[in-house]
Amino acid sequence: MAEGNEKFELEMPKVGIIKGVLARDIEIVGDKSVSLRTSARPYRNVYTAAQLRTIKSVVEKYGSGKVHLTARHNLEIPEIGQKNVDRALRELYSAGLFPGGAGTSVRNIFTCPDWCSKGIRPVQEIGGMISKNFGDLDMPNKVTISFAGCSNGCSRPHNCDIGIIAVGKTAVSADRCPDGCAACLGVCRFEAIEKIDGMVALNGNCADCCKCAEACPHGRLTVGVTGFRVFIGGKEGSTVRFGVKYADFADDFEILEIVDRVLNHYRENARLRDGSSRKKERLAEVIDRLGIESFLP
Amino acid sequence: MSGNGIVTGRAKGRVTLRIRSIEPYTSEFTAGQIGVIADIAEQYGSGAAHVTPRQTIEVPHIGIDELPVIERLLAGHGLSAGSTGQYLRNVAACSMWCLYNVSPMRGAAQKLNSLLSEKTLPGKTNISLSGCDFSCVRSRTSDIGVIARALIVKTEKPCKQCSLCVKEPLGCQADAITLTREGVHIDRRKCVRCGFCSGICRPGTIAVKAREFDIFVGGNGGVKPREALLHCTVPSEEDALELIGKILDRYSSLAEKGERIGDLIERAGMGWLED
Repeated sequence: MAEGNEKFELEMPKVGIIKGVLARDIEIVGDKSVSLRTSARPYRNVYTAAQLRTIKSVVEKYGSGKVHLTARHNLEIPEIGQKNVDRALRELYSAGLFPGGAGTSVRNIFTCPDWCSKGIRPVQEIGGMISKNFGDLDMPNKVTISFAGCSNGCSRPHNCDIGIIAVGKTAVSADRCPDGCAACLGVCRFEAIEKIDGMVALNGNCADCCKCAEACPHGRLTVGVTGFRVFIGGKEGSTVRFGVKYADFADDFEILEIVDRVLNHYRENARLRDGSSRKKERLAEVIDRLGIESFLP
Repeated sequence: MSGNGIVTGRAKGRVTLRIRSIEPYTSEFTAGQIGVIADIAEQYGSGAAHVTPRQTIEVPHIGIDELPVIERLLAGHGLSAGSTGQYLRNVAACSMWCLYNVSPMRGAAQKLNSLLSEKTLPGKTNISLSGCDFSCVRSRTSDIGVIARALIVKTEKPCKQCSLCVKEPLGCQADAITLTREGVHIDRRKCVRCGFCSGICRPGTIAVKAREFDIFVGGNGGVKPREALLHCTVPSEEDALELIGKILDRYSSLAEKGERIGDLIERAGMGWLED
């Protein structure tokens, strides 16, 4: 096959291949092996059956028969010999699987799936847009961006550099609630609902999570206008930081602007960590040093 | 079939199935298992699969009538539906081959999963086992988190000045090592006990003296995220597993329904954890 003999041109070992020498095995194996971290591009938050089959065949041919799931929607294929990396990558590429989500870059965007019944608005599409515009961009240090469709935050938006949570205003109908129903009072975690004379009302404690609308069996409470709440500067790992609130009720276009602004400001202002010769600050440290105000427009 | 592993979907009569790997490994899927999930997605679902942050794969849009067939198919390949509801969720462990990990945690995850997988608890309980300080599986925001530590020492063997331990890409991430002509110097205050330097040090100047396991309790994500508190440090994996069993027992007897470990600590303090 003439096609197969062409040199496979790729700008690699930077993104996607986890600094890949298994330290303990260098002398034993003699062959350097790498872990390939792959994810579907353009990012849509799903792997199709065909993509899973491709991963299966790559794992069987070049890997060790195992696949590891990472916490950021990547599949990791371990122990691929460095000689085979090109071939494995070519097969993955042809199925729409790209290496990514490693090194000092914008990591894989994590969105929760739209089919979850708890989500108050779909987030896959905007996640894909963010991924298309900012995915795998080079950054001073790693940047994680997560979208959550409801305040349960399965994608851990509070622990991400940029965490975006869907929020909504609960619309209260003017009809009387049936006597004895307290479904909304039971689920509210902020003591924001008051029931007076059979009418429900929301007070100032409301955190816009819309859990009451989800619980209401009679359609008195519904999800009204939705938006996104943005937290920046969270992290997870050796130290845990929860993000600080950056924007409260942003719409889709504002989200693109916000991500662009935060990433740009971070890139311009990140410098080496104190006492370190090569590690640059993460977003949380830049916020500590300059204050969140400097990130505002 | 119990409700465990089934997530209600938006379409009527269709559910999302959360699949976890049981055999031969618990935090990894084999190639064959990935193939089976692809088949299920294509044949019974919408042809898509979603990877969750707790090492399970979700296949959406599955007809309720098909569930018994799928359950048999899963069981035949060492997979199972699970990790939903007020149970012990899938025990997440970091990967075996990661070059940072000091102690492989897969074995421990496997033991916990097989011992406790169907244990009903007052609230949802996440257990995460990390092989190093970076805790990619989020030990510090899980209900119970374990982080493996390595205590490193400088041995008598002379340093060959290869500088692997201080240089990109494999060198010390915490900048705790300085290399001078006299040899390496380890700054104990900066050291995060990740033990990675001992793995790359070829002459063996830096070696692991002992391993220990930090146990964190009471973290959670979600609406009100909470950072876990360091409970104690134990010297071996067996001790860690024993302690986790003990914590879960006490938690089940003390907590009210729906209360997570973090809520219990907030209400009753850390006293119930002590002997």
